[in-house]
Amino acid sequence: MMRDNRIRRLPMALSALVALALAVLPLPAVLAAFRPDFLVLVVFYWSIESPRAGGLALAFVSGLALDVIQGVVLGQHALALTLMAAWATHLRLRVRVFSVLSQCLTVFALLTGYQFVLFWVDGATGNPVTTFSRWLAPIIGALIWPLLAGTLSRLHER
Amino acid sequence: MVAFRHSDTSGRTTGLLLRCVLYSLLALGLIIVDKRYDHLGKIRRLLSIAAYPVQVAVASPFEGWNWFRESVTTRDALREDKTKLEAELRVAQFRLQRFEALEAESQRLRALRDSTAGVADKFLVAEVMDVDLDAFRERVLVDKGARDGVFVGQAVLDAGGVFGQVARVEQLTSEVILVSDAAHAIPVQVNRNGLRTIAVGTGDTGRLKLPYLSTSADVIAGDLLVTSGLGGGFPAGYPVGTIATVKRDPSQSLAEVDVKPAAALDRSRELLLVWLKPQTAPPPAAPGAPAAPAAPAATPAAPAKSVPSHRSGAGAK
Repeated sequence: MMRDNRIRRLPMALSALVALALAVLPLPAVLAAFRPDFLVLVVFYWSIESPRAGGLALAFVSGLALDVIQGVVLGQHALALTLMAAWATHLRLRVRVFSVLSQCLTVFALLTGYQFVLFWVDGATGNPVTTFSRWLAPIIGALIWPLLAGTLSRLHER
Repeated sequence: MVAFRHSDTSGRTTGLLLRCVLYSLLALGLIIVDKRYDHLGKIRRLLSIAAYPVQVAVASPFEGWNWFRESVTTRDALREDKTKLEAELRVAQFRLQRFEALEAESQRLRALRDSTAGVADKFLVAEVMDVDLDAFRERVLVDKGARDGVFVGQAVLDAGGVFGQVARVEQLTSEVILVSDAAHAIPVQVNRNGLRTIAVGTGDTGRLKLPYLSTSADVIAGDLLVTSGLGGGFPAGYPVGTIATVKRDPSQSLAEVDVKPAAALDRSRELLLVWLKPQTAPPPAAPGAPAAPAAPAATPAAPAKSVPSHRSGAGAK
């Protein structure tokens, strides 16, 4: 059992690291608003696929990494990601048998919830973001979900 | 298409709710402690050192490409550059001829007025790192940090004018908040008539605004705004921007004034970190200081507002 978990954790950590790098990859200003939250999607994938191997700890640590890298209030992304990963874990048995379209819609709901928690913390800490473009990220994220989940499950099978 | 391996088919994840509550409380605690007290600086600094390799790894291909492009430049291109730079230098030298005399004169006049506007003392060139921070905030990461003596609130300039100020200092890097960030405000002065006000960022890279000017204020499109040096954060007299449009609605008490920033906020790669000369004379009560005709309430707010609200909590609305 322990061994089993350890084997599963390598692709998990690896994909999270790559997603973190993608989160800081410089993009032209025009495209930056369209950048999907790769790390969030990766955390959702692992929450649905094997929640007992990483689950909420992975979500919390990834969120903390995003906080440090983006220089926002420590704990903001950690809170949002923990809550939504827990939700994803709760839904996982249903999501696994969903059609691709339903999966995308679920991911859209999760991402919107994620942005909403961020939005709320931003407002509560007196640091509001006023642009509407932040609400684009859930749409983009839901659109690339099939691609990302497919890639990760391929990686996982190795 | 999306095949989950169902490797974890047990229907139960023990204590999901408990763990969720636990982690969430931990995160909430972090938010509150980070916001209310400043005890987390050390932890954040340690974590940022851990994040540094990721940032460097992401930035290095771009730097490598730049280096490659530079090293394969042709001789002709270099010659062209050299001619251009020489011409620019000549113009700059012409302008500089009278600069020293003017600076001395300005110092004398300031001494007469007991003015305490800061004067730049030391510069350090910092390079913008090729990593994106939050897409919705106007911030950049530069490659100088606490090790180089950078401090929070330090003024940052580029070749065109005021770029922003340091919002956060890590060991090896620091985060600069641009003048165009929605949470940034800077005390300025209209160069033509000395009118003092505050330029506030809009969250839009190419635009600042002057929200505290009355409709009767004497500003016209094309006016140059320079730093007033009030608040002590920025050296006085550096260009901040030029007024792009002035909208006066007679039914409103305040004018809508848009400013085009002088610094190349979206293009600059080399920035100057500025250390102000320490003041020898203590600031007097300034009895003879001319009162600004407009926005009298805005000036006292300048020192507090010129600090990025991320840390101080004095957020621009």
